[in-house]
Amino acid sequence: MGADESGTSDESATITADGSGWIDLPLVTLAVVCVIVTVFAALLQVSYGAYELTFWEAWATLFDPDLLSNPSVWEAFLLGTDLPDLPARSIVVWNIRMPRIAVGLLVGANLGVAGAIFQAVTRNELASPQTLGVNAGAGLAVLLTLVVYTELTHLLPLVAALGGTIAFLLVYSISWDGGTSPVRLILAGIIVATVFNALQTALFFVADDLGVVQTALAWTTGSLTGVDWEEFRIILPMTLLGVPLSVAGARHLNVLVLGEGTAKSLGMNVERMRFGLSGVAIVTASSGIAVAGIVGFVGLVVPHLVRTIVGSDYRRVILGCVFVGPALLAVADVGSRLGATMFVFMVGVSGVATGGLFFLAGIVLYVVNPDRLDRSYRRLVGGATVVGLLSLSYTTLIGGPSVSETQVPVGIVTGLIGGPYFLYLMRQRKQMGDL
Amino acid sequence: MATQDSDDRAERTYQAAAETSSQDSALSVTDLAISYPTSDGPVVEVDRLDIPEGEITALVGPNGSGKSTTIRALADQLEPDSGEILLDGEDIANYGAKELARELGHLSQENDAPQSVSVEDLVLHGRYPYRGFFGAVDADDRRAVEHAIDIAGVDHLREENVGNLSGGQKQLAFIAMVLAQETDVLLLDEPTTYLDLHHQLRVMETVERLNTERDVTVAVVLHDIAQAARFADYLIALDDGEVYDWGPPTDVVTEELLRDVFDVEAAVRYTPEPEITPKHSL
Repeated sequence: MGADESGTSDESATITADGSGWIDLPLVTLAVVCVIVTVFAALLQVSYGAYELTFWEAWATLFDPDLLSNPSVWEAFLLGTDLPDLPARSIVVWNIRMPRIAVGLLVGANLGVAGAIFQAVTRNELASPQTLGVNAGAGLAVLLTLVVYTELTHLLPLVAALGGTIAFLLVYSISWDGGTSPVRLILAGIIVATVFNALQTALFFVADDLGVVQTALAWTTGSLTGVDWEEFRIILPMTLLGVPLSVAGARHLNVLVLGEGTAKSLGMNVERMRFGLSGVAIVTASSGIAVAGIVGFVGLVVPHLVRTIVGSDYRRVILGCVFVGPALLAVADVGSRLGATMFVFMVGVSGVATGGLFFLAGIVLYVVNPDRLDRSYRRLVGGATVVGLLSLSYTTLIGGPSVSETQVPVGIVTGLIGGPYFLYLMRQRKQMGDL
Repeated sequence: MATQDSDDRAERTYQAAAETSSQDSALSVTDLAISYPTSDGPVVEVDRLDIPEGEITALVGPNGSGKSTTIRALADQLEPDSGEILLDGEDIANYGAKELARELGHLSQENDAPQSVSVEDLVLHGRYPYRGFFGAVDADDRRAVEHAIDIAGVDHLREENVGNLSGGQKQLAFIAMVLAQETDVLLLDEPTTYLDLHHQLRVMETVERLNTERDVTVAVVLHDIAQAARFADYLIALDDGEVYDWGPPTDVVTEELLRDVFDVEAAVRYTPEPEITPKHSL
């Protein structure tokens, strides 16, 4: 039916629901802020470290045309062939500092997107790879490999993905009773995670080599230390597979969050879709875990932050996560590798830069359409500038940023950022889903 | 006397069933039995039930009589223990999920959407069964959405977020979503419950408009028998999981029905539509 109605379609030419008008100002704003923050954090990371480089030297090396146009260098990075002879400076920038940044970005994107999918699939904003047992499963698998089945070490990412999948399948089957419910999924997830975490701790006692224990510890807290292009080569295909699939699946997530009954009435094969999209989330999350260990809170906090800014349309949420996840990881890794004062310095500069840029953009927008400058826009400009200036004055007060001697795992920094932020959200929103 | 009445009723039911099967029924059910995992034995047992094509059929009955259970089974939301549910002569179990959603729309009793979804985006979800995995929105989708918004009368709410709507407005928005599916058959589960009188009428008028303008077959569960008598072409009265009576409102709505099924002593006047004046509960 409906074909006979096509004569009336001319009148409805004004319709706006065309499925492409969903990229709106908040989403673009969010993406721009994230890019500013990410780029600045990356510049700091490239410039500072044990091997001393001035800011300009680092820049010159980073954008060295000889190196950038040398295909054998890219082959070495992306395919793992032997690196040609390079000056020490290029080695430091391109072979030590850059891979860590690049891997961090992909880990952030993967964990953020996976968290968003899990939250939609379970219709619960508390869901994340953590609460659904995926982290614990992947972590246990990694520990088992490091401590017991050492001959499998070269397959670590695969093993991590397998562990995450097994844990999730376990959670799914425990919560299955002719169908699953979001609450049952979360409860089963927490229980499975607890058991797997206990087993992880038990494995520490079995390990007799202190080095193994340290590696394992770095793994379970999440760390980017010593990350190489090899890790990049592991995670890149998973990201290239998982992120586009997630973006494509976002429309289905939107229908899924209407509830099982409605989704089914609309012709969705609910269990199949839920399982398939969870599979995508597991693959992306596990690949992140495989290269960086269990970086906590990213999968939980990133979708939340995005949602408060762009609303609950998952097409926007997923795309927002692709920007916010990397930014959070980049920022956290500055704190992790360069220490607290560098972290504050970075917050200061990105804050002022964001405030300034959006102030200028605001002038343009105001000329075009004054209505676009709503309260939240003015708050963004004001807030970013104030936070930036405060952080910068603090940095000046303590005599400029300095590189910290010791590194903490990045997972600890994300926890320190994510935990308080999440609590703040809870106080703000009061309504946290079904549970 | 009582036996005479019930004999008449049974005869009428079978006669009507026979008539409709020779005529066209959009949905027909035979030997249906439905049970829940927690229930002992089936909660609904129906030998025969027809939703005639192009008409509005209301399912009425007291709480727990199996109205919602029946309509959920018709919408393939519940798997019956036994029996056959035919949509246009084809068992609904044989339809693919999307294929069924293009033929048969269903709005459940409780609907929930994220707070910050706009009405327009919600209505667009009604086009889900027409789009592939990467499906873009085409001209047909736009026209259907526009039409659905128009029929449900939610044009002024288009940009509004679902979280800001009243219960009645929200119900109309969800009805628009189901309308965007452009199905020939529509199943509505208590669409007017919990709504104020204005929105109850808005919902029922939308259903009526849909039926007269586009010849959509509607089966609707209604709590209010007076409302059912007014808007429906046919009534199916359910009592304790079984069909008590079937037919046009003037035949079905009787003082006896109100006494037997609803446990209410009431006076019914025919003007010619039945008007019910409840007296007291039994």
